[in-house]
Amino acid sequence: MDELDLLKKDWNKETDTFKNYSDSEIKPMIHKKSSTIVKTLFYISIAELGFWLLAGILPYFLSSTFKEKLDTSYENPLFVVFNTLSYLVILLFIYLLYKSYKAISSTDSSKKLMESILKTRKIIKYYVIFTLSLIFLSIPLSLYFEYNENLEFHQQIVEANTTQMIILYLFAVFIAAVFLILIWLFYRLIYGVLLKRLNQNYDELKKLEI
Amino acid sequence: MNKELEHSFVEQLRTNQNIVHKVCRLYTNNADAHNDLFQEITIQLWRAYPKFRGDSKFSTWMYRVGLNTAITLYRKSKRRINTQEFDAVEYKVKAEEYDDTEEQQLKLLYKAVHQLNDIEKALVFLYLEDKDYREISATLGISEVNARVKMNRVKKKLRTILNP
Repeated sequence: MDELDLLKKDWNKETDTFKNYSDSEIKPMIHKKSSTIVKTLFYISIAELGFWLLAGILPYFLSSTFKEKLDTSYENPLFVVFNTLSYLVILLFIYLLYKSYKAISSTDSSKKLMESILKTRKIIKYYVIFTLSLIFLSIPLSLYFEYNENLEFHQQIVEANTTQMIILYLFAVFIAAVFLILIWLFYRLIYGVLLKRLNQNYDELKKLEI
Repeated sequence: MNKELEHSFVEQLRTNQNIVHKVCRLYTNNADAHNDLFQEITIQLWRAYPKFRGDSKFSTWMYRVGLNTAITLYRKSKRRINTQEFDAVEYKVKAEEYDDTEEQQLKLLYKAVHQLNDIEKALVFLYLEDKDYREISATLGISEVNARVKMNRVKKKLRTILNP
């Protein structure tokens, strides 16, 4: 006889070994707090949106020199466009995230469920890439603004020789790269741990299709 | 939430709770983890219940949500310290000092099934629950042909685990 058929015979007769919950035991269970990866993913995306929004807003209120600087920057139409666009993109991400969370359903097939979770994670990833590129872009942009508006800095740049300029560039690129790599590693770690099992199982299902 | 809805849900879950217990038996290996997973599946079932329209059997619907929770959604709670791992079947066999070859074989079989990966366990589970390939393929989201192929591979894998 097939091994599984032997198991099957036993499988259905052994049911009396389980604890039999009564209605009054089940009732409180359904209102307990759940701990699923979708929930964790949700908290992470909220934390991320919040963190980057705060990182953009807080310095404005906390530092008066920064506030002054920003206020003058707002006179520059390019800066205003840039800023408005970035907030529009954030709104778009919030909408996309909301939609993808709504699409996650435990009554879908396993594969579909995994796909919707991975899609949500992808949207968070794109949001992070978007924010990181904004930061990356803002470094040369702010140097450019500084060059145009800060006379002292302008003078220093004009007087600098090639070696000094190269050092300045390298330094800026280096700082930006270190910063980005650290953040990237941080995300890899969070999502790597959280989604390891899901990715494995999804790969297992995908493998069947080849 | 609607009291009537809650009442009918609890009643249906109580009568079909063995399905959830069986999922837990396959995906966990100690009593604490079993209860934890049972709890989570219960929450997920309740959440999805408003969407349950009754066009399929309650039990059929439970298989899907139960397996999805075990395979994909569930996160082991970190607070639990899993010290008392035990194999329920092994325990039972020892206690009764059973020396039946079939009983021995069953014990090994359960152990072997526990060594399978999550997807393979799901296939075995649905097979043991007497589901046809149409339902297996719909539950997992793979084609019927692939479900068959995979099932055969799982059987072969079990045989290799049992007779290395």
